Amino acid sequence: MLYRTAGQFKTTYKADQAMFPVRQDAILLAIILVFAWVIFPLTASEFTFQTLLIPILIYSLAAMGLNVLTGYAGQLSLGTAAFMGVGAYACYKLIEIVDPITAILLSGVFSAGVGVVFGIPSLRIKGFYLAIATLAAQFFLVWLFEKWAWLYNYNASGAIQVPNLDIFGVFVTGPQATSVTQYYVILAIVTVMTLLCINLTRGTLGRTWKATRDMDIAAELIGINLMRSKLTAFAISSYIVGVAGAMFVFMWRGAAEPNLFDIPLSFQILFIAIIGGLGSILGNYLGAILIVGLPVVLNTVPEALGLDIKSATVEHINIMIVGGLIVFFLIIEPHGLARLWALIREKLIIWPFPH
Amino acid sequence: MNHFKTWTAAAALAVTSAAAYAESLYVPNLSYRTGPFASTGIPLMNGQKDYMEMLNARDGGIGGVKIDFEECETGYSTEKGVECYERTKGEAIVTQPWSTGITLQVLPKTNVDEIPILAPGYGFSPMSDGKTFQWAFNVPGGYWDAADMIVQYLEAEGDISGKKIAFLHLDHPYGKEPLPLLESLAAEKGFELLPIPVGLNEMQNQSSQWLQIRRERPDNVVMWGWGAMNAGAITEAVKTRYPMDQFIGVWWSGQDADLRLVGEDGAGYKSISWSFPNPDAPVHADIKEHVVDAGKSLSNAEEMGGVFYNRGLVMSMILAEGIRTAQEEYGTGMIDAGQLRWGLENLNITDARLEELGMSGMVPAFSTSCANHTGHAGGWMLQWDGEKFVKASDQLTPRVDAYAGLLADSAADYAAANAPWAMNEDCNADS
Repeated sequence: MLYRTAGQFKTTYKADQAMFPVRQDAILLAIILVFAWVIFPLTASEFTFQTLLIPILIYSLAAMGLNVLTGYAGQLSLGTAAFMGVGAYACYKLIEIVDPITAILLSGVFSAGVGVVFGIPSLRIKGFYLAIATLAAQFFLVWLFEKWAWLYNYNASGAIQVPNLDIFGVFVTGPQATSVTQYYVILAIVTVMTLLCINLTRGTLGRTWKATRDMDIAAELIGINLMRSKLTAFAISSYIVGVAGAMFVFMWRGAAEPNLFDIPLSFQILFIAIIGGLGSILGNYLGAILIVGLPVVLNTVPEALGLDIKSATVEHINIMIVGGLIVFFLIIEPHGLARLWALIREKLIIWPFPH
Repeated sequence: MNHFKTWTAAAALAVTSAAAYAESLYVPNLSYRTGPFASTGIPLMNGQKDYMEMLNARDGGIGGVKIDFEECETGYSTEKGVECYERTKGEAIVTQPWSTGITLQVLPKTNVDEIPILAPGYGFSPMSDGKTFQWAFNVPGGYWDAADMIVQYLEAEGDISGKKIAFLHLDHPYGKEPLPLLESLAAEKGFELLPIPVGLNEMQNQSSQWLQIRRERPDNVVMWGWGAMNAGAITEAVKTRYPMDQFIGVWWSGQDADLRLVGEDGAGYKSISWSFPNPDAPVHADIKEHVVDAGKSLSNAEEMGGVFYNRGLVMSMILAEGIRTAQEEYGTGMIDAGQLRWGLENLNITDARLEELGMSGMVPAFSTSCANHTGHAGGWMLQWDGEKFVKASDQLTPRVDAYAGLLADSAADYAAANAPWAMNEDCNADS
């Protein structure tokens, strides 16, 4: 009923190839965008900005970067956090030269370069063996962040601190920046990147990646250059991850020590991508909401109900509930939340007359 | 219907608990009772909590106002810590961030949000410069004080020029904190400093570090460890037969539980400390009567005799004294964050006051001012005798004058890096 596609005729190829050929999808997206761009910023509190809106967007972007590589091109990577770190440290050095937003966008270039270097082994090794090779990136880069003092300007504590930086007199980074400003900067970058990603994965490059993922020998036989396909996937994925890493530190955390980019962060992003759904753009957002947003919301429940539960107990219960939910969602739909939504949508389209 | 009853009951509970807290001071603590550092966190958190519970039960709070001492669990994770800070900052009059990572992250925010940050014995040493860090307090001593007192103690034992001192530290902002001071002391006193970092994932297996120590044969090992690293280092030292009396830890490396693992073999190990457990102090009797016997304590007898639990008591005492000082100055029970800052800036913990509080001998006397946010109380060298920690020295006082310049430079660097940084321009007192 709500999703009735009958009567939506496409009379041109252009209409048929639109990003959202079904009108209801476009309307739904418009509603979400209105919420993200207008309603949330107007109503959100400082707490909501700092613990829900901003981290969910940043984690979604990082997972999207990983999804390009793992979900679309089929190259399993465990080095996401290290590539985020490259973005963050590059940004830290770049802000001395350019304005913060340009620095964030440029910092991805450095992680793309590093990503390509660590992607070279993917030409020879596959699957779990490649995962181990990317693990090397993880260990090596974190070690480098610790030992190469030039990266953190020889700071005695070894941590990087985000200074107050402004564009046209408005603070964008550092403690003086307001959450709303930071939110809009992040939202703009994430929106543009998402649009780019949707189109990339629909275009020639995306089809090349999918062919490589599904069967690389077959792809090679039909004339796909595997080296180019895999390395572009590494480059674009690392670029997005690097930008996410720069925003992670500059737009949200405000300070970072090298071990922040250690393996637990890589796993967290991999889980977001897997639970959200590999090979989907929407899934990254759904996964981030489940893994990053839900624990924060659950933490506030006992207090809102006035139940007097100790904070440590709440934390334990929280971990159990989130863990349980992950298992639950993966059992009902092993291909992730995005697939779950796709099934619901299909059912809605043919409702009330299923086949 | 049943559901309806539950919900109304919950709602009623919410209303009553809100009413009960209407006239109280909200004092959150960013605790870590879960995660890899929980073993060190729990005794400290218990001490802090029990002292405040005792004040609420015995005196009805401070100055007649109840203390709403609430924990927000971080699991020592910086991300959760920032979440807790954002959640509590609305009504809180103070923030107690606990981990060095969270402190680093929250420090610039408190300067904008104008909330005092109380980091007793941890955080960033230059926080003692109250003119620059007007909202931050690391009473009664910072890490540079600890490093200086350890060097002083070694000097008292014998000439240290030409000696080799290994500095075994966590490879983390916390472990690197005292390095600038130790380096300048090494140059000045002529000893050789050998920094040996322990990575976060090597904490439990330090065989390569101790192999290096065996090879280099340093005259002393100074340790800046936390969590699992302490137990790892101490067991490794016992295994490699490093002379225990040449092994000295910072105050976070002096937990009873870590040494009980090795017992008699650990005898001789030393740890600098600004607090000392005094189980016979009247404050313990009051806690037993009002908190333990009332079933409100999460602690146990063994833990309550330990160094960390007692340090937790001292931390809450410092905060309570800050609140009391502010209440007296402003003539109101319900002080706000800015007024508490004044209170913490004008602490005067004398031996007489400690006697009144029933805590004599548990912390050296100290006072703060607007320019001096640390107090530089000094401390004692404690030594493990095989069963418990005993005092191994008279009270040591850090030679702050010797590194006041270094403190001021670091504070100025921080302010410059975080410009625009609000300073306390009204403060004219010298530190």
